[in-house]
Amino acid sequence: MLIYIARRLAWTILVVFTVLFITFLVFFKLPNGDPALRFAGKSPTSEQLQEIHKRLHLDKPFYVEFGYFVERFAAGDEYGWPGLGYSYGNFQSVKSQIVERTPRTLWLIAGAATLWLILGVTIGVISAVKRRTWIDRAAMGFALFGISAPVFWLGLMALFIFWRKLHWTGGTGYVPLSSGVGPWFSHLILPWCVLALLYMAIYARVTRNNLLETLGEDYIRTARAKGLSERRVIFRHGLRASLTPIVTMFGLDIALLVGGAIITESVFNLQGLGWLAITSATTQDLPDVLGVVLVTATAVAVMNLVVDIVYAFLDPRVRYA
Amino acid sequence: MGLVVAAVGASVLVAAGGAGRAKSQVGSGGTFKVGWEQSFGVTDNFDPVGEYLAEAIGIHSNLLTRTLVGYNHVQGAAGNKLVADIATSVPKPTNGGKTYTFHIKQGVMFSPPVNRQVTSADFLNEFKRLASPKDGQEYGFYYNVIKGFASGKGKTISGITTPNKSTIVFNLTAPTGDFLYRMSMPATGPQPNEVTKCFEGTAGKYGQDLISSGPYMIQGIDKVDISACSKISAASGYDGQTKLILVRNPSYNAKTDSKAARENFPDEFDFLVDANKDDIFSKVSAGEFQDEISTPPSQVLRQFVQRHSPQLHLNSGDRTWYLTMNLTAAPFDDIHVRKAMNWVMDKHALVQAWGGPTVGKVANHIVPETLFNNQLAEFAPYKTPGDRGSAAKAKAAMKGSKYDTKGNGTCSASACHNVYLLADTRGQDTKMLPVIEASAKQIGITFKVHTINGAYPTLQTPSKNVPIGERPGWGKDYADALTFFTPLFDGRNIIPNGNTNYSLIGITPSQCKTLHVTGNCNNVPSVNSQLDKCSVLVGQPRLTCYESLDKKLMTTVVPWVPYLWSFATHITASNVTKWSFDQFPGGTGYAHVAVK
Repeated sequence: MLIYIARRLAWTILVVFTVLFITFLVFFKLPNGDPALRFAGKSPTSEQLQEIHKRLHLDKPFYVEFGYFVERFAAGDEYGWPGLGYSYGNFQSVKSQIVERTPRTLWLIAGAATLWLILGVTIGVISAVKRRTWIDRAAMGFALFGISAPVFWLGLMALFIFWRKLHWTGGTGYVPLSSGVGPWFSHLILPWCVLALLYMAIYARVTRNNLLETLGEDYIRTARAKGLSERRVIFRHGLRASLTPIVTMFGLDIALLVGGAIITESVFNLQGLGWLAITSATTQDLPDVLGVVLVTATAVAVMNLVVDIVYAFLDPRVRYA
Repeated sequence: MGLVVAAVGASVLVAAGGAGRAKSQVGSGGTFKVGWEQSFGVTDNFDPVGEYLAEAIGIHSNLLTRTLVGYNHVQGAAGNKLVADIATSVPKPTNGGKTYTFHIKQGVMFSPPVNRQVTSADFLNEFKRLASPKDGQEYGFYYNVIKGFASGKGKTISGITTPNKSTIVFNLTAPTGDFLYRMSMPATGPQPNEVTKCFEGTAGKYGQDLISSGPYMIQGIDKVDISACSKISAASGYDGQTKLILVRNPSYNAKTDSKAARENFPDEFDFLVDANKDDIFSKVSAGEFQDEISTPPSQVLRQFVQRHSPQLHLNSGDRTWYLTMNLTAAPFDDIHVRKAMNWVMDKHALVQAWGGPTVGKVANHIVPETLFNNQLAEFAPYKTPGDRGSAAKAKAAMKGSKYDTKGNGTCSASACHNVYLLADTRGQDTKMLPVIEASAKQIGITFKVHTINGAYPTLQTPSKNVPIGERPGWGKDYADALTFFTPLFDGRNIIPNGNTNYSLIGITPSQCKTLHVTGNCNNVPSVNSQLDKCSVLVGQPRLTCYESLDKKLMTTVVPWVPYLWSFATHITASNVTKWSFDQFPGGTGYAHVAVK
């Protein structure tokens, strides 16, 4: 197992490096991407632009510039290690922006993922067990609504009802945990619920379908024939087998959300990594883009690894050499 | 439409009547919160030496960074009038307009943790920083007229002397009529060397530890340890990304300032980045934000316009939007075609594409009227009924053109068809395109539209040989027409990348060769000599000179089709008891606002 993990980690580094290189190449080749113009003010002179090109190594071919990036990353820079440089947009250290925004996104994902996993799987199980009853139909109706309702609309409705009208929750914006658990929770509960709703609906449907399929297997019939209780049949034999695809989904969904909860972050003004990704991409701020890509690519690769390891425990048929 | 026009007129009149709304309960205290859309968008992380964002310049000028001369932070012509700030008076130049001597008021203090009196050395220190591009300099070119500035590179500047702690003398290489305006920019404000030396050559770092000389300071700056460079950490009130919190500067001495310039009502200013525009206006409506730095959604704007709300403030943004025509590219290398374009364009529809009369008014020439004290208000060389354009007048103008091969007043040569038109992807650009195409088609010009997300870099590259672009807009840096004419029309300033003279006025055949401009470079009109003539003048002669240049450009050069002078739009909360527009940065006059 250790050899397997080491090999996967090596692949992870290679994947992240490749993704960064491709991102670098794409941004370097963009027709409107000369960052020197941002630094030179409204009425630049040729000398100013040349000076800035030299300072930022923009006068070098892209692979040389990428080499500088890798060197700075490995050795660290004026902002410490890893050296991610500073934003072309606001001169802020990329690392400080990532550090500032990552907790916002991670808290959002953690809360939402907890909700959707617990509630989604529970609803799916109940729906499968009570199939073709009104409970099943209500649960699947709920799932249909969750999948169909756009996140931005749900977010705005939730804010209007629970914040503006009922005053049950805090408003938009992020309040750090250091400001108190109450305000922190109050500002995150709506984003958690809204983000969780979509995934909860999907997980409920997938769990129901997987469990129904599993419950039709021969070994389930055997278990029942042996006289095991229905609870034991469902939770010990049925659910365990039907959870393996859920684990895969869960790992990838979390990883993708690290850089992808843009709409939720926007509607609730959380300004996490997704927001940083979209603003830096639209302003062609290469250092910020690389910073976000680094975090998200790492998250995807690491979550893939975690999923594979968890898989081994859930499904004994999976063996790693 | 009538209602909208009337409402806008009423609102503008309200704004024109004085410093916005003034209720009886104006008083000190409270927190004035401003929702800032998307991101601060600062250019040097709030370090005045490289900060070129208008909103940031406004915050510096009103609240944080006093300069030798400044403004009263009010609207209109009064807001463009220079007044003494840290200087004891606005000096008159000597030595044939080449020497300016400033005397500094006693008792002007830096905020904690520096806590000492501002001296002439602090101004010299900032000019040394300004002379070093590595500090993030953005408009250092304005100070190249100071002897030794351009070559100073942060070490010495021979043209600046400080005979004593309260006197600073600037010696220029040539008379410069707007030099005092240049001295009102925040980059010229005093900064203490004991702190700035720790940030030398590192653009964007000092902004989070800015030492204030104004009535407010960054929250937490008083807790920063400046005893050694290694001990300096960022002040807690500004994280560069989501919040800028300003609190009162305990060292500020109001006696060194004037109430006309700064009233300083609120105890605190919170500038908060909000990713959601709707959320910003929701909070303004609820009184949770007092003001916004955002673009109001049309439905929000409509609500305030329809109820003639005094919370809506429309003021001249001193910004012109225009179609630029390349004087070297067919068919726009012919003045008849350029004039015909001005006659035929439906400017009313273009303004509608932007959102109608709440967004601005039709532009008739180059420089916004406030910069000429409205002396050129009647000048509208291509005025048509309702600003809808006139095909008849356009065809009459076209008749002398070499491209009118059929002699019927239309552009009938092959060069008139599928002309490359560069457009951007913003909403208003997309809406303007059909109007531009329909208007030009009346005189036989058809376009091949190239739409780019971010069209400026292409437009700013002469070798791209873009014949016509619809993206440009230009705003003033300070209230002098030079800030329009020199960057936009000086042929000597044309550069291969980042060029702002999009029309290539004054380009020479040798420049064309160097810059890979492939069009007709013979006899391209130039206004360089008149630019030089105007730039040394002062007062009314200067104004008259630039007015005449505006007229010349619009009648004998015709590089643009100007169509919009945009408003600066602000919506404030109902609990704002006093609001003012500051004409200098074109935004809120924070020095005069109050909250209940």
